[in-house]
Amino acid sequence: MEELKHLKDEINKCVKCGTCRSICPTFRVIGRESASARGKITLIGARFNSELDITDAYLKHIKECTMCGACRDTCPNGVDTIGIINAARAQAVKEQGLPLAANLFLKNILDSSKLMPFALKCAARFQGVFFKDSGVDNGLLSRFSLPLVGQGRLIPPLAETFFLDMPEVKALASDTARTEKNRAARPLKAAFYAGCGVNYLMPNVGVKSIEAVRKAGGDVVVPDSQVCCGMPAYYMGDVETARNLALKNIEAFEGYDCDYIVTACATCTYGLKSVFKELLSGESIRSREMTARVNAFCSKVMDITVLLADVLKYRSEGGNKDAKRIVTYHDPCHLNRNLGVRDEPRELLKGNSSLVFKQMRFPCSCCGLGGGVSLTNYELSIEITKRKAESVRDSGAEVVATACPGCIVQIRDGLHRYGVDAEVKHVVELL
Amino acid sequence: MFTESIKNELRRIVGEANASFSKEDLLCYSYDATNKVSMPDGVVFASTPEEISGIMKTANAAGFGVIPRGAGTGASGGSVPVEGGLVLSLERMKKIIEIDAENLLAVVEPGVVTWEFQQEVEARGLFYPPDPTSLKFSTIGGNIAECAGGPRAVKYGVTRDYVMGLEVVLPTGEIINTGVRTVKGVVGYDLTRLIVGSEGTLGIVTKATLKLLPLPETTKTMLAVFPDVKDAARAVSEIIKARIIPSTLELMDGVSIKCVEEFAKAGLPADAGGLLLIEVDGAVETTEKEAVIIEGICKDSRAISVQAASEKNEVKNLWKARRSASAALFRARPHKINEDVVVPRSAVVELIAGVEEIAERKNLLIACFGHAGDGNIHVNVMYDRSDPREAKAAPEAVEDVFRLALGLKGTISGEHGIGTAKAKYLGMELGPAAIDLMMRIKNVFDPRGVLNPGKIFLQADMSPASGARPAQGAPVRH
Repeated sequence: MEELKHLKDEINKCVKCGTCRSICPTFRVIGRESASARGKITLIGARFNSELDITDAYLKHIKECTMCGACRDTCPNGVDTIGIINAARAQAVKEQGLPLAANLFLKNILDSSKLMPFALKCAARFQGVFFKDSGVDNGLLSRFSLPLVGQGRLIPPLAETFFLDMPEVKALASDTARTEKNRAARPLKAAFYAGCGVNYLMPNVGVKSIEAVRKAGGDVVVPDSQVCCGMPAYYMGDVETARNLALKNIEAFEGYDCDYIVTACATCTYGLKSVFKELLSGESIRSREMTARVNAFCSKVMDITVLLADVLKYRSEGGNKDAKRIVTYHDPCHLNRNLGVRDEPRELLKGNSSLVFKQMRFPCSCCGLGGGVSLTNYELSIEITKRKAESVRDSGAEVVATACPGCIVQIRDGLHRYGVDAEVKHVVELL
Repeated sequence: MFTESIKNELRRIVGEANASFSKEDLLCYSYDATNKVSMPDGVVFASTPEEISGIMKTANAAGFGVIPRGAGTGASGGSVPVEGGLVLSLERMKKIIEIDAENLLAVVEPGVVTWEFQQEVEARGLFYPPDPTSLKFSTIGGNIAECAGGPRAVKYGVTRDYVMGLEVVLPTGEIINTGVRTVKGVVGYDLTRLIVGSEGTLGIVTKATLKLLPLPETTKTMLAVFPDVKDAARAVSEIIKARIIPSTLELMDGVSIKCVEEFAKAGLPADAGGLLLIEVDGAVETTEKEAVIIEGICKDSRAISVQAASEKNEVKNLWKARRSASAALFRARPHKINEDVVVPRSAVVELIAGVEEIAERKNLLIACFGHAGDGNIHVNVMYDRSDPREAKAAPEAVEDVFRLALGLKGTISGEHGIGTAKAKYLGMELGPAAIDLMMRIKNVFDPRGVLNPGKIFLQADMSPASGARPAQGAPVRH
């Protein structure tokens, strides 16, 4: 009840000034009021006052949001637009249930540390049957239309060996606790959280992250019972699944004596650092012991770029100074808007003397992947990416760096679709 | 409610996907930035003047109201369907048709967002000055309908000063062209000026020819902080008296500063009584020279500090702060009446002192900010609707503010328009003969009263008894 009351207050705070219109990536594509935060809040308000049923149109509109947070950041009245939309999604799931395909995927596959790797391993083995090589670096074009895969979509290939299955990574699962006595003498220790993007699609990002931490003098462990961060479920309104995953992850890291919990994925960082707190608080789970555990976990979470730039003061050795490449940086919403990380990744790139950094226009505009939009409405999702692709083209960059595997997948797809010739890399791959 | 046959006719005109009668869409087109809500009966998303012409002809035949709408960010209720009817969204008409650098003009569709248009012209070294506070999300069409102003009006004037010509669909469905593509032009009546600021009651703009200027070489931004807002206002008069016309001369009082700083965190001194955001533009040497003079004047007017913003980000933050003032004020009280009176620039101090007196007398919080350089002050009467005393006092205070502004030889609205919010105050400023002429003009354009009904004039005045009724009898309401 308290939550509902809070939500109503939040909805009433919207004075309909319209500041949220042009800044919204979905509104820019759809061009109708129902796609703006102001419109969605109107619909959600009507729904909560029982003036509107859960109709197909209502569901469509509340799903048309990448949850990038641009509207929330720009709202002069400080309306928590994302909170409202997320609550509306959760409410809809509660009343209606998730659509079948998403339900199966989120509940049974994401929610199981065993099933997810198994399902994806099967997919890795059969991907040659479903996808043909597009000839573009690191991408396969879908040959057949799969349930979540549209024709012509650039799908990242699954890794042959998943990150957490690599022998060298498995070897990092065991940890020796530090004693009070030797704590000061031993190097900083980071526990690496891979997340699905790094684990299944981009193990190299994980490998490079570990290398960089070590090079800067840190020590790394990789807990082996870690699972998906649960953010896809959270953003599609499946709070229960997200909560289960959060608990499993906290348990997975509790046995390790580390200074930081580090990820190379903007969404995972935000999930682990902030959303876990939200998921594991509230009326049902309010226990002091739980709060202490969650806080202990969340306070250690840090993005790899922040750890390298601010804590470890990473120094790049640079590469070939004679063959400089122009690099630009895309701000993942979850790092930039939600955690305020903007300078660190840029500093790391600028520190590499074989790169020339060039800011693109609208570096903070959403890539189009988030909020479940790429799953529920791919056409919208990839239309949003168009603006990003144009910014990259206009910047003249040869490499787009970012700090989120999700953004990497989406921007690669977008650059391919809109014919922009540039590579997309994680910052840690460019150190 | 529309009959099935009208719905089908509308679908036929704009296409199935561009006509909606769903409750979800109707809810989304039931409001504007005044936060007043009234449900329409349908929404269409038109893309050509021909489609709009067809819609207007249908509306005349069937007798339903049509409410044109850009971004729905107006401040006087101009795009709210107060009597129901059909909302005509121009959101799809968002092409910049041409930018003619040789003749310093551009042709655009009404749904172009003002700021995005400015970005395009500025990339070519050109300049479209009108900058309403909503410029990042409001559209040229809406700006034209309301004759939007903005901070730069002090030096560059308002929207009407940049509209050279229009393509307009008349309420009866004819498509006309007004104005010229030349610097001069006196052929016939100046219909362009009549349409600009007519609040969507005389026609629907489907294309606008806009005047451009060369982009000034540089802009210098300064922030002056004062212990009392009246000191800030005094500095405004002194700057103008010194024969300097800044490109921006914006004022904020203590309440506005506090609310805005809470949101924008631009480093404004939250305990200051007033501040001025000042910009001078032009050649580097001139702006530097003017900045020095302005700094001196501010200090003579008791400024606590005068600082030039050195970095681009700093300037951006200051503007974000200023532009968020109107909405951020809701942090102080849940409701407000936002008026935009204008007085001759020399009377700004008297206006502010008068508003302070009204606030004290009515025991209300009244926040002032705005375009002090051109005498246009946004007077925000803050209140709580659930408090009976405040709910009664607030509209009384507004009338007092209007009386004050008119007494100082000013006007009751500088840039928001009348819409529904100010219709009942029209007679405070205009004489009966002038209002009667305006209503007769409206009737000539729109004999059946189908375009944006219920705006500017009180419905009682538009009734048959007033003598200004529609020539062919009162409009048939659906």
